[in-house]
Amino acid sequence: MKPARTLALAVIVSAALAGCAKETTRYGDSRGVETVTNQFGSTDLQLMAESMARSMNQAPIIASANLPIVTVQEVRNKTSEYIDTRAITDSIRSELQKGGKVRFAVDQAAMNQQVEELKRQQSDLYAKDSAAEMGRMVGAQYRLEGNIVSIVKQVKDTKDVYYKLNLQLWNIRNGLLEWSDEKEIRKTTTRG
Amino acid sequence: MKNWKWMVTAAALAALAGCATKKGFEVPGYAFGCPVGDTKVSSMDDLVKAKTVNEGRRSTVQATEMRCARTGDLLKIDANLNNDSKSVKRMSYKFRWIDREGMRAWEEESWKPVMLYDNSNLMINTVSPTNKAVDFRLILRSDE
Repeated sequence: MKPARTLALAVIVSAALAGCAKETTRYGDSRGVETVTNQFGSTDLQLMAESMARSMNQAPIIASANLPIVTVQEVRNKTSEYIDTRAITDSIRSELQKGGKVRFAVDQAAMNQQVEELKRQQSDLYAKDSAAEMGRMVGAQYRLEGNIVSIVKQVKDTKDVYYKLNLQLWNIRNGLLEWSDEKEIRKTTTRG
Repeated sequence: MKNWKWMVTAAALAALAGCATKKGFEVPGYAFGCPVGDTKVSSMDDLVKAKTVNEGRRSTVQATEMRCARTGDLLKIDANLNNDSKSVKRMSYKFRWIDREGMRAWEEESWKPVMLYDNSNLMINTVSPTNKAVDFRLILRSDE
């Protein structure tokens, strides 16, 4: 009888403690190394974006040209997990834009909004002299595209993930590849 | 008399050699291509000490060499990290960019995790994100 009572008491105390477990929320370093899981994470995104932007800044076509105009196209996700590739290209674009060596033309994803705004300004609601005119958009000279692949290997207690981001900068007029680079990341998780 | 002439020539050559610019210090304010300003840097060790900062947990991995060059209007940096221990070491690094006024020229970079095999070197390299960055610090921290 006694062990049963002790057990019941222990269960009740554990349940109460679990219910009262204190939850803490703290701010962390958004640029710190994140190793919660070995899935694609914030550190991977930051490493890839920074590495690619710095490499592209050194490309002769960017370094020597007078503010070349680039449009960002799709980075295809060929990995087995969900990755918001737009977040990678957005970070690269921000870093390049801040670096002041590149200008960006509106890309396909933002084209609808751009055209809608142009049409809106062309309506009778706006003063004609200050409204943006049709046919004044500037086309890009280069397009940025690429893909991200992964190789995942797993045995009982070990999971190894390898990511590779490849980006290419194509000359739209002549179809020449002006710059290309890769960033590789390997992460291994072991249990026990 | 011939011996005397020879000695004078040797003395002159020695004096000239003493005045010759030391390799890596040809440009005033720069050492091994890296900007040092008024900091007294007379060797590679001085340069590494002036440019490296340890933050957080101290890493046993040390920067041992650093060289800089200009690529267009950007600053390109090569730094050698050395792990002289008998075990694999994991650490992170980042660069901090400084402008002409001594203020931050760029936002704080993300930490870059690296792994160094036992008794080995790893060459890390980067390029400044903007031409406003004229100086830098290499920040190291241990991930162990």
